[in-house]
Amino acid sequence: MAKHTPLSKEFLKGLWEQNPIFKQVLGMCPTLAVTVSAINGIAMALATTFVLVMASMLISIIRKLIPNQVRIAAYIVIIATFVTIVDLVMKARFPVLSKALGPFIPLIVVNCIILGRQEAFASKNTVFRSILDALGMGSGFFIALITLGGIREIIGSRTFLSYQVLPNAFEPWLIMILPAGAFLTLGLMLGFINMYTDRKKNLEKESLIDQYRNKTKSESAGTVAAQEGI
Amino acid sequence: MATTISEAEKINKLELTTSPHLHNQWTTKKVMWMVLAALVPSVISAVLFFGVYQLLIITTAVVFAVGTEYIVQTIRKKKLAIVDGSAALTGLLLALTLPPNFSLSATAIGAVVAIGLGKQIFGGLGYNIFNPALVGRAFLQASFPVAITTWSPNSFAVDGVTSATPLAAFKFDKITAGLSQMFFGNTGGSLGETNAMAILAGGIFLIVIGIVNWRIPVSMIIGILVFGTLFYFIDPVKYPTPLFQLLSGGFLFGTFFMATDWVTSPVTNKGMWIFGIGISFVLVVIRLFGGLPEGVMYSILFMNAFVPIINRFTVPKIFGAVKGAAA
Amino acid sequence: MNTVVKMILTLSSIGVISGGLLSRVNNWASPLIAANLKAQTEEAIFNVQPAAKTYELVKASGVEVYKVFGDDKIPLGYSLVYSGNGFQGKIRLMVGLSPDLEKITALEILEQIETPGLGTKVTEDHFRNQFKKLETSPMIILVKGVEPSKPNEIQAITGATISSKSVVAIVDDGISIMRELKKEGKI
Repeated sequence: MAKHTPLSKEFLKGLWEQNPIFKQVLGMCPTLAVTVSAINGIAMALATTFVLVMASMLISIIRKLIPNQVRIAAYIVIIATFVTIVDLVMKARFPVLSKALGPFIPLIVVNCIILGRQEAFASKNTVFRSILDALGMGSGFFIALITLGGIREIIGSRTFLSYQVLPNAFEPWLIMILPAGAFLTLGLMLGFINMYTDRKKNLEKESLIDQYRNKTKSESAGTVAAQEGI
Repeated sequence: MATTISEAEKINKLELTTSPHLHNQWTTKKVMWMVLAALVPSVISAVLFFGVYQLLIITTAVVFAVGTEYIVQTIRKKKLAIVDGSAALTGLLLALTLPPNFSLSATAIGAVVAIGLGKQIFGGLGYNIFNPALVGRAFLQASFPVAITTWSPNSFAVDGVTSATPLAAFKFDKITAGLSQMFFGNTGGSLGETNAMAILAGGIFLIVIGIVNWRIPVSMIIGILVFGTLFYFIDPVKYPTPLFQLLSGGFLFGTFFMATDWVTSPVTNKGMWIFGIGISFVLVVIRLFGGLPEGVMYSILFMNAFVPIINRFTVPKIFGAVKGAAA
Repeated sequence: MNTVVKMILTLSSIGVISGGLLSRVNNWASPLIAANLKAQTEEAIFNVQPAAKTYELVKASGVEVYKVFGDDKIPLGYSLVYSGNGFQGKIRLMVGLSPDLEKITALEILEQIETPGLGTKVTEDHFRNQFKKLETSPMIILVKGVEPSKPNEIQAITGATISSKSVVAIVDDGISIMRELKKEGKI
């Protein structure tokens, strides 16, 4: 079924149309917890993307070998393996970052984005498409986390990627680096995105109605009225 | 069904609101102005004790609250309802919970959050779960914890540069302020909360003209006296006297002006008792065992969340219904 | 039957492969992780004892204490790791002490989960530097609002009284345990 979608679409859909955070609202736990600063968001997103791409690739390769009844268990073992590798590598090479992200690196195992993509995509599609899909979803996650982390860091501690961007006269809003700030920021972001999407959808609907109206000028006025009533 | 456009439009104009639907002689506008009037003594007391600058805080809060209401209602293409005074009241209530000489920019942020996040995001007046003024203050407390607990001394204070509130003094240094001092407002604290006399004047006025139901303030006061006495008897050295609990901090202000908000308090008589006693209980626990010296704001917000469930479980029996299962 | 065998085979082969892979990665990573940990402790030890050149872990004491030495093995004092309750959770810190335990050389906060932007100020230089050359007898006193006037006083952070108090209490506790140990001749 997905064979007819162009390859570029497999990648691009994760960025906006099916963005894991903004559209699918998956993987909220790391999103809310680690985004106190942009760098944390970047590290989290990179780690997740790595696991996602590797797991998608592997599962897509062996998708025909895994019996249907144990597929979830198999996915989890594969995902957990990659997560543990990431965790160990980060502890060995980037101890500071690993300390800042704390338990949220091991918790990538239970990130719904990863298991969700395996179940919904990698287990049904070819390797190349699965990798593209994973990269797209990972990038979408990256965009969401860096935006959220950036906003929270700028308002909550006046800095962006540790460079001071707001003057000292600006009193930082501590609430933004507290958990409450994560909920507020994400909630407002989702609100504005929904507003934008709705507006766009309404415009499209109106233009469709216009087209329809032009086509069916000869038909009865009652039908047109019903269309307008939507 | 053959419905013409005009008929459909008529149906759409039906105003949909959530229950309870209560009717009485009060209009929203009249109520709001009455409450504003009841706050006049507290405003005067604030200016008297803390200086004229406090009028600037109050004005800022009111202007930004009304402005936010105006902007949001314009964006949402709702009927403009800023003349009903509810936004102005929220602004004033917020200002009265702030410490003296608080920064004006932070006050403005608080007012915008109070109306924007506390009220309009839920759909406007009547739809909000939490008391908007307290939402604004909670936001400020979390954002600027140092500024909001920096108490400048009042004009009659004898000592020092900073003056702690009676609660903070008790919590951290075990110093108890005099009761009469607290009653007349000669202590450190937020603009509207220090002068018990002014609050009582306004509060009793509201009860007498029937805007405030007496059950909430009475149950809260009984609650704090009971729980306060309990702990005082357990350990008189460690815990303050019940009267100190009653007069200190924002308790009286919260009792008469915050907890009694029509939108965010229960509608049934039994519910009001549960609500009031619940607030006092949470408050005593926060004050005595929590990390913060004061907890009126959090205890009211906490109980606000329970209001829908309190309403649901305290629905009065329908008149004429069979009493009990066996009868 | 066939499916059951297939299920078992698939899962166990995935398990074996991932187990093997993980053990390889772990073999590579564990010495690096241990080195990181050691480097961190070492850095903290020398941070709280700036003049020190070498150190050794003091054995047979209930607490984690490092004895530090300057040039030519001259004992310079101790680096004590101690922890206690803060405002929201455990605070773990390291404090450098003179040989007679009468003076603090420096203080380092190793772990804490205080309120961001408020309680976390205990990790900032402004607060920590107050401990430099601080006298410890009879004990460290926390003062609020006013500048410290005595050599054993620390000024609390505005708005984070409890966190400041906790740090001072933890240091006091740690020093009293050190005094006990000293009396018993164990260090």
